[in-house]
Amino acid sequence: MSLKKKLDRMKPHLKSNSSGAARSESMAEIPHLDLWKQHHTDLFWHENDFCLIREVHFPLNYQHGRYRLSDYHKIMEGWQKANASHSLSSAGYHPEDLFFFDTETTGLRGTGSTIFVLGHARFAGDKVILKQHILPGPGQEIPLYISFLKQVNYKTLVTYNGKSFDWPQVKSRHTLIREHVPKLPQTGHFDLYHASRRLWKGSMASVKLKHVEEQKLGFERKDDLPGYLAPAIYFDFIERKHPEGMIKVLDHNEKDILSLITLYIHLSELLLDQEIDQTSAEKYELGKWYSHEGEREIGSGLLEDAYKMDGHISAAHNLAYLHKKNKQYDQAEKLWLKVSSNGSKKEMVEAAVELAKIYEHQFKNHAYAITMAKKALVLIDSELETKKASDLKHRIKRLEKKQGNL
Amino acid sequence: MRKKTLKEFISHFRDDDQFKSQVVKWHTIEPMEAVYEPLPEVLAPSLRKALERRGIGKLYSHQAEAFNSVMSGKSITAVTPTASGKTLCYNLPVVQSIVENPSNRALYLFPTKALSQDQKTELNELLDLADSNITSYTYDGDTPASIRQKVRKAGQIVITNPDMLHSAILPHHTKWVSLFENLKYIVIDELHIYRGVFGSHVANVIKRLKRICKFYGSDPIFICTSATIANPKELAESLTGKNMHLIDRNGAPSARKHFVFYNPPVVNQQLNIRRSATLEVRRLASLLLKEKIQTIVFAKSRVRVEIILSYLQELVKNELGPKSIRGYRGGYLPTQRREIEQGLRDGDVYGVVSTNALELGVDIGQLQACIMTGYPGTIASAWQQAGRAGRRQGEALILMVASSSPLDQYVVLHPEYFLKSSPETARINAENIVILLDHLKCAAFELPFEKGELFGETEIEDLLEYLAEERVLHFTKDKWYWMNDAFPAHDISLRSASQENVVIIDQSERANHRVIGEMDRFSAMTLLHDEAIYLHQGAQYQVEYLDWDEKKAYVREVEVDYFTDANLAVQLSVLEEDKRKETEEAAACYGDVSVRAMATLFKKIKFDTHENIGSGPISLPEEELHTSAAWFSLKEGIGHMTDEHVEQGLIGASHALKAIIPVHVMCDPQDIQVTPQVKAVHNQLPTLFIYDRYPGGIGLSEKVHENGQTVIRDALELIQSCVCTNGCPSCIGSGLPAGDAKKDTEKILEMFYYALGSEVN
Repeated sequence: MSLKKKLDRMKPHLKSNSSGAARSESMAEIPHLDLWKQHHTDLFWHENDFCLIREVHFPLNYQHGRYRLSDYHKIMEGWQKANASHSLSSAGYHPEDLFFFDTETTGLRGTGSTIFVLGHARFAGDKVILKQHILPGPGQEIPLYISFLKQVNYKTLVTYNGKSFDWPQVKSRHTLIREHVPKLPQTGHFDLYHASRRLWKGSMASVKLKHVEEQKLGFERKDDLPGYLAPAIYFDFIERKHPEGMIKVLDHNEKDILSLITLYIHLSELLLDQEIDQTSAEKYELGKWYSHEGEREIGSGLLEDAYKMDGHISAAHNLAYLHKKNKQYDQAEKLWLKVSSNGSKKEMVEAAVELAKIYEHQFKNHAYAITMAKKALVLIDSELETKKASDLKHRIKRLEKKQGNL
Repeated sequence: MRKKTLKEFISHFRDDDQFKSQVVKWHTIEPMEAVYEPLPEVLAPSLRKALERRGIGKLYSHQAEAFNSVMSGKSITAVTPTASGKTLCYNLPVVQSIVENPSNRALYLFPTKALSQDQKTELNELLDLADSNITSYTYDGDTPASIRQKVRKAGQIVITNPDMLHSAILPHHTKWVSLFENLKYIVIDELHIYRGVFGSHVANVIKRLKRICKFYGSDPIFICTSATIANPKELAESLTGKNMHLIDRNGAPSARKHFVFYNPPVVNQQLNIRRSATLEVRRLASLLLKEKIQTIVFAKSRVRVEIILSYLQELVKNELGPKSIRGYRGGYLPTQRREIEQGLRDGDVYGVVSTNALELGVDIGQLQACIMTGYPGTIASAWQQAGRAGRRQGEALILMVASSSPLDQYVVLHPEYFLKSSPETARINAENIVILLDHLKCAAFELPFEKGELFGETEIEDLLEYLAEERVLHFTKDKWYWMNDAFPAHDISLRSASQENVVIIDQSERANHRVIGEMDRFSAMTLLHDEAIYLHQGAQYQVEYLDWDEKKAYVREVEVDYFTDANLAVQLSVLEEDKRKETEEAAACYGDVSVRAMATLFKKIKFDTHENIGSGPISLPEEELHTSAAWFSLKEGIGHMTDEHVEQGLIGASHALKAIIPVHVMCDPQDIQVTPQVKAVHNQLPTLFIYDRYPGGIGLSEKVHENGQTVIRDALELIQSCVCTNGCPSCIGSGLPAGDAKKDTEKILEMFYYALGSEVN
């Protein structure tokens, strides 16, 4: 029996997918071009094929949430003057260098997930130019990527989770048409998702861009399309060719990109300490971040601020480690004594252990060292943390021996 | 007292009256000398050095043939019995080629993760001895995220399994550019495992793999190794779509082997029930172990392994120490396995009791004696198990102890079938429509299909059009593009053909519920209903709750001495008849059928005695299955039997056929169903249906149709050679109401047989 006949027989028993797109004929003309043009969208031709590019300009006094686009120039200046090195620093870059970049895709992973909007914005003199490269239909990726690669500087992309999502996806789709498009160079870029996680994952239930916008950037979306609907709208678009749904997707993508700009401004202000209210929790996270980036001095300054503001105990704990590294044992001791009775359980144990070490090796006070080691031993769950417990017992034994020898 | 040597032990056995009376056949296989070839001249000096360090100065002939064929650019399939040095068949040419050109890549596929680990260790030992810096990595669910990138970019030999290839590598092929651009070799070990549904899936995965290779400009050579099956070349070719050079002359030496077919004594004459095989094995194994003869015992389930193991350990505790007898189950870590292996070599370990896990290519060295608790189900696995016994020098003893099951009884009473006939045929049906459609989705996700493109050799335009109608694909500019937000490989399991599977969740440990498997809906009705005993890798689980709406079965591990057997009320209708052989008396047909089935009740049946020890209702909705079937019909007015006798005969015949079919087709017994109908819907005639238990069929019933007469002849022989008088669980099943059941069954089968025979003659 032919496969076709078998198929007909089996059809009622095969699972049916309802979402998605249908067949289409080859594109003889470009439907609704006038409507596209009304929405600032035009054609980009490459050989006999095309993609769509929407281009919108924003004046610098444009307000997005609590920031104006012009605030960008302040932080850019700030970075140029700042002495600190930091992975988010744009020192050495011209304001026009940064590309704020976001995509819309038909799926979350895998080669078959297609990018259908490549959106980016950059500052150009007295305005911000936002461009969205739109895939008119599958099979038109060559003009899409050619137009995109021509216009973007991949070395200075600013994204939200682009390191592990958008850019790998670009690479994957690029591989499929690599014989027809320019090579994809290595990129370095600023991923604001990782920055946001670092600063706010302790204090925010979710660091999705939408939540960061609401809670940090003062931006509330109205009539916005939920991102998860974008694939379905795209499938509908390639079937019907009518742009109405896509225009909403483009609007959504535009807002994402504008938020990327203001988020970069906001994060930079925090990092540059520019007339902005910071909570002790933020100062603490910033301090840890700077220390992690090798800027110990700035880091310890921020931690100290956090500790002074309201006795932020984790700040004290981290600060103590920095003091220890700098061999400032007296300061470390003072802070750890606080932490050993006021910190979280984990911090209390760590502080007690650190104190035991300082007393034993620096201050040669074995009795104090024993007290602290015993304190730590009481605090831990010796059944679960067997390694720690046996280390502590070993330490106590050794200390008691030393004490006996005196 | 001095211990007996194996030789003395064997001659003692031969003279022992009690033993002798239970032996059905004593078959001696004469030893074989090794056939060697010198190391190939082109062999890289580093590899030569590695082999010499291992004490290998020459190759077995099949290894040399494999090396030379692969180096000359041929895809090969090597049939390699247990312990014949099969890994060198692929490791030598692969490593040689990477030494020659370090940018070359190879992909190794093993059916399980455990086997991948094992082979990686072995490969790395070879690479170490060669002082080579060739990198080999396993890539599976356990590979840490931190090294995945490295494996993708730099792994010269990537070791994985078909499931990973299907769901993690192919859908992300753009991350594996350097592998696919330079892929020279694909190694498929344990080829014979890829049969039935699994094999049909894997054949499609390989079509996808070849499609991706083509996209990146590579055309890899396939190197397959297989246990002994009837059709290794055919299976390899249909699985890979490549012409295969078959290497089936083995150059490895083998010892003199005594293959003894042992039937336990009858303990209940009336019911023809024999003493439990497990008890017999226990006794026989202890005789061997007391003489310190290294012995491996195979049992079919984990529970039986435990029973035999604890008994034997107890027995020899004082004499040999409890650690001298070890259990071996699937899922052991390589280190545990090495420990057992080392123990066997040092002589600290005398006995190993194993489930069939060991049969799967894992090498623990060789022992002197092997005992099988029952026939392992296929000729191929029986030979693999037997291969565990027999060192190069000396002799080996292989005991097959039969259970009361019809298949076991057939084999033990017809040892010539086992010894002479060729092993089973492994069947796949890569064009099963359900499986094919699933993989077309995955393939389209990976790369768009061009108009006119074939999938392997299959024309698929109609199917792609269907998928476009279903809005999964989008056709434009002469290509079909994936246009859906799903990740298709995620929803498709290679180990089943059904689209919506029941997930099996083990809740034995309160805090650690885990998914241990899945099963298609149709099978789940009879195997996963409430209170069913479900066997998973030899362990017994009881189903506590089957959530039919959510498609979840919650199970808990138990140890019970019964299994469950569900009654399935089946309505069969023929959709299309594709083939027909007929005479005036009977017809044998093959085609597509619709099976509507409803599970009604289940029985608890005691192991060994097959007593019915309880029952319960099943309340599940009716399910429909479209599949392929073979059927035998009697024509009207033939045989002059009353309806009652016809029915009885059909039931008996179906029981016997169910036992015999696995002899002809390599499959698990539950893969194929036999259903008698006194008046079949389509022709109103007494008909016996044999259908594939998977949507769309996987080629099993087709094979039955091809061999109809032989199948029926063997079923008849099974019944005729059974010592019972009027039917027993070992032939036509018990519980038949009227007398003459055996006669009725024979009559019906004879009519089928002669009818078909006259057609053939």
